[in-house]
Amino acid sequence: MNKILSVDDLVIKFKLRGRILTALRGVSLEIFEGETLAIVGESGSGKSVLAKSFMGLLDNNGWIDSGSILYDRKDIAKYKNEKEWLTIRGKEIAMVFQEPMTSLNPLKTIGKQVEEAVELHQGLRGNDAKNEVITILENVGISNPQSRYSQYPHEFSGGMRQRVVIAIAIACKPKILICDEPTTALDVTIQAQFIKLLKELKNKYNLTIIYITHDLGVVANIADKIAVMYAGDIVEIGKCEEVFYNGQHPYTWALLSSLPQLGIKGQPLYSIKGTPPNLFYDIKGDAFAPRNEHALKIDFVERPPYFDVSPTHKARTWLLDQRAPKLEPPQSIRLLRKEWEAK
Amino acid sequence: MSVKIEKLSDGINENLFAFVKYNEIEAQRGGYSNYSYWKSTFKVFSQNKAAILFLIIMVVLLIFTVIQPYLPNQKSPTEISIDPQTNMQLRNHPPDKEFIFGTNSIGQDLWARIWSGTRTSLFIGLLVGLWEAILGIIIGALWGYVRQLDRIITEIYNVLDNIPTTIILILLTYIMRPSIGTMIFAMCMTGWLSMARFVRNQIVIIRDREYNLASRCLGTPTGRIITRNLLPYLVSVIMLRLALAIPAAIGSEVFLTYIGLGLPVSIPSLGNLINEGRAVMMVKQLRYQLIFPAIVLSLITISFYIIGNVFADAADPRNHV
Amino acid sequence: MDREILLEVKNLKVEFGAKKNKFTAVDGVSFHIYKGETFGLVGESGSGKTTIGRAIVRINEISDGEIIFKGKKISGKIDPQLDKEITRQIQMIFQDPIASLNERSKVDYIVSEGLYNIKNYKSEEERKQKVAKSLMDVGLLPEFASRFPHEFSGGQRQRIGVARALIMEPELIIADEPISALDVSIRAQVLNLLSELQREKGLTYLFIAHDLSVVRFITDRVAVIHKGKIVELADTQEIFKNPLHPYTKALLSSIPLPDPKRERKKKLIEYNSNIHDYSIDKPKWVEIRHGHYIFGNEIEIEKWKKGLK
Repeated sequence: MNKILSVDDLVIKFKLRGRILTALRGVSLEIFEGETLAIVGESGSGKSVLAKSFMGLLDNNGWIDSGSILYDRKDIAKYKNEKEWLTIRGKEIAMVFQEPMTSLNPLKTIGKQVEEAVELHQGLRGNDAKNEVITILENVGISNPQSRYSQYPHEFSGGMRQRVVIAIAIACKPKILICDEPTTALDVTIQAQFIKLLKELKNKYNLTIIYITHDLGVVANIADKIAVMYAGDIVEIGKCEEVFYNGQHPYTWALLSSLPQLGIKGQPLYSIKGTPPNLFYDIKGDAFAPRNEHALKIDFVERPPYFDVSPTHKARTWLLDQRAPKLEPPQSIRLLRKEWEAK
Repeated sequence: MSVKIEKLSDGINENLFAFVKYNEIEAQRGGYSNYSYWKSTFKVFSQNKAAILFLIIMVVLLIFTVIQPYLPNQKSPTEISIDPQTNMQLRNHPPDKEFIFGTNSIGQDLWARIWSGTRTSLFIGLLVGLWEAILGIIIGALWGYVRQLDRIITEIYNVLDNIPTTIILILLTYIMRPSIGTMIFAMCMTGWLSMARFVRNQIVIIRDREYNLASRCLGTPTGRIITRNLLPYLVSVIMLRLALAIPAAIGSEVFLTYIGLGLPVSIPSLGNLINEGRAVMMVKQLRYQLIFPAIVLSLITISFYIIGNVFADAADPRNHV
Repeated sequence: MDREILLEVKNLKVEFGAKKNKFTAVDGVSFHIYKGETFGLVGESGSGKTTIGRAIVRINEISDGEIIFKGKKISGKIDPQLDKEITRQIQMIFQDPIASLNERSKVDYIVSEGLYNIKNYKSEEERKQKVAKSLMDVGLLPEFASRFPHEFSGGQRQRIGVARALIMEPELIIADEPISALDVSIRAQVLNLLSELQREKGLTYLFIAHDLSVVRFITDRVAVIHKGKIVELADTQEIFKNPLHPYTKALLSSIPLPDPKRERKKKLIEYNSNIHDYSIDKPKWVEIRHGHYIFGNEIEIEKWKKGLK
C-alpha cells in the first residue's frame, strides 16, 4: 500500500485574546491509500484541528508552528495562500462536516450543487454532467434521483442532506474524504445507514477515509486504523482490532469502558472523571495523568514516549515501560479481549 | 513486546514507576479561570486604545461643560460685548486672546456660547436617550416575551409608526411654546418606538432557548425571566443602541433648530450655533463660526459611536476568553 | 405486585400550527409510569418524544387526552395551588448543556432559581446550604457556586442542570436526551449520577432518548415511539429479548457495537412504514404478553405471537 498522507511532528497553535493555545502538541501520523483512519477523542482534543490543517481550513488566528504534512511528495503545511490550497481542497481532499446545512446552499437545487462540482472537477458539460449527477445521487442512496435533482436542501431530512454533502464531495473525485463528526447530530438509525453507505462508497470510488468522532463505538465497523487523541496528542494508534481488543493506554480503556453498550444494568458504568487540561498552559508529563485513576508518579513528571506494541500499534504510556508495575485493564476490556482471543 | 525509548532525562528512576493516589477533587478543578463578567468586559474594552482615547475626550468634555461657567474670566453666553473704542457691538470679532473662539454676528462670545450650547444639547440628548432606553426596553421586553401582548402592541406600534416622526415633532413644537421642555417632550414621544421594536426582535430570537424553558419549568415569574434571563443577554446590543440614541437626539435637535422649529435663538444650543454659523458660511473670514460648533458636535457623535461599538463588542461574552 | 402509579398519560394528542397547516406531533399516546422506576421513551427526532415530555411539564399545550399525576389531573386548566405544587414535583433535565443554562448568571443563581420561586428557605444562610448540598449531590464542589456556566465542561454543566432540578426535591424528573449532546467519554458520568440519585432519593424518571443502548442501560420499561404513536412498550429486558415490532428491530440493529468482529457481521435492518397494510385490518394497541404491549393489526399480532421467546 502506498503512503498517501504523512504528518510529522505537527504543532498547531492558536492566538486567542493575546494568549497562545497549543492545539496540537507534535502529532505524527501516516495514512495509506484506501484505508479508513478513525480519529477518536473528546471535544478539545484537537481532532478537528488536525483534519482542518490538511485542507488549509484553520481559523485565521491559528497557524502551523512546526512539523510537516506531506501529500503527494509536497509539504502542504508550507502552503500560505488560497490559490495553493485550491489545488488540494475538493480536488484531492474533500470534507464532510457535522452540520450539513453549512456546506449546502439553501437557494440552489441539490442537483445544481452537485452538478457544479461535476463540471468543475470532471469537466463534463450538459447532459453528460446531469447523467453523472444522477449516478452519484443514486450511489449515495438517494432514491428517485431524477425528481430529487430539482429539490432544495430544506426539502430533505438531516440524514438525506448529509448524503447530498457526500455526493458533492464525491463529485470532486477526491482521493481522501474527511468526515468530521458526520453523524453526531443524527439519530442512531440514520447514523448506522450512513456508515454503511460510507463503506460502499469507499470501495466504489477507491477513497481513503479519515473519520473523526468522539464515539469509539461507531467506528468499529468502518475503521481499519484508529488513532486515539487526547489534549492535542495521539496517545494510541493501531489497527482497529488492536485498539479495541488490545488497547494499552488508560485513556483508550476509559473511552471504551464508558460506552453504555458495554455496561451492565444495575452496576455503575465506568466513567472518566474531571475535565481535560487547559491547553493554554504547558502540559507536564502525561496529559491524562490527573484524570487517570491508576496514574504513576512519573506520569506527572515526564511525557511518555511511544512504546511499540506491534509494528502497527504504539501507545504513549509509561505503563508499557519495563519498570512499570503490571496493571490489568478494566473488567469490560478484559471481557472483550477474552472474547476475541477465544475466537 | 519491543520497547523503544526515545529520550529520557536523567531524573527518571525506578521510584517514579509507582501508582499515585487518585485525587478526584483535583481532577474536577481543572480549567478554572476566575471569570467575572464585568471585569472581562472592562478588560476587553480597555484593550482598545481608540475607545479609551474617545472615552477620555468624552469625560473631559462632559466635565468641562459642567464646570466651564465657574471658571475665572468666563463671559456670559448671552452677553453682547461692546467695543470700548467705538461703543459699537463687537461683531464678528475673529478669535484672539480675549475671545478664544471669536464672537458672533451680534458680538456674543462664541467660546461661552459653544459650552453653553453643548450643555443644552447634551442634556437633551442624555435625557431623551435615557427615556428611550427605559421605555423602549420595558415595552420591548413585554412585547417580545408575553405572547398575549404581542398582537395588541404590534397593532399600536403599526399605527404610531405610520405617522412620520417629523410631522409629530413639527406639530408639537407648533402647538407648544418652543423651549427645551417642548423639545425633549417631542423627541420622547416618538424615539422609544424603534428601540422597543429592536428589543422585541432580539427577545423573540432568544425567548425559546432551552434555559428559558428551564426557568419556566422551575416556575420563575415572567418579570424575573425578563430581568435575569433575557435582558442580560442583550446588554451589548442595547448599549450600542443607547450610545447611538444620544447623538441621534442631538442630531434631531440640530435638525429641528436648523429648519426653524427648535429652540428660540435666546437659548444657545449646538443646533442654534450651527444654524447661525451656516448663515455666514459663505464668508471665508467668518467660517470659524460654523467650524467650532461643528467640531464639538462631531467629537460628541464620534465618541459615542466608537465607545458604544467597542463596549458592545466587549460586553459580548463571546469575545471574552 | 400492585405498584403505585405516579404518572398516567391517557390518549394524549398534541397539535402544532393553525388550522391550515396543522401538524399532529403526538397522536393518541397512552402510558403510565410507576413510582420509583425509570421509564424510557425512545424514538427518532420528530417522533414526538420531546413534545410528550414538554406536555407533561405544561410547556406544550395539549389538544386532547389527559395527564394524571398522583391521581390528579394536571393537564388543561388547573388551579394555581396545584400548579405550584406540580411545578415543584415535576422537574426537567434538558438536552443541550450549553443552551439550557443561563450564561449570564452564576451557578449559585441557576441552582437556587427554583428556591426563589417557592421560597422554602428561612434565611439566606439556609439557601446557600441547600445550594451547596445540591452541588455536592451531583458531584460538584460547593465552591463552584460562584462561577459562571461557561467555565465548566459539558458533563459538569449537565450536572448543574441536574442540581437545579434536584433542589426542588421533585418526585418525577423528565430527562430529555440528557446525554446525547455530550461526548461519549462523559456520558457515563451523567448516567451513573442519575442512577445513583434514583437509589438515594427514590426518584422516578421519564428518560427520553433516541439511542437504545443508553436506554438498555438505564431504564426499567421502554416505550418505542414512531411518528407520534407508541408502537411497542415492554420491560427493557423483554424488549431486548423479544423485539417484535419491525421499528423496534430496526432501532436495535442500529446500535453500534464496540466490537469490530461482531459489528462487521451485524445485519442492519431498515424500517419502512409501508410494510404495514392497515387499509382494511386496522391496527390496535394489544397486550401480547403480560406487560408487553404492541401496536399492530390482527394478522401481525398472530405472526408476532409465534415469534415470542
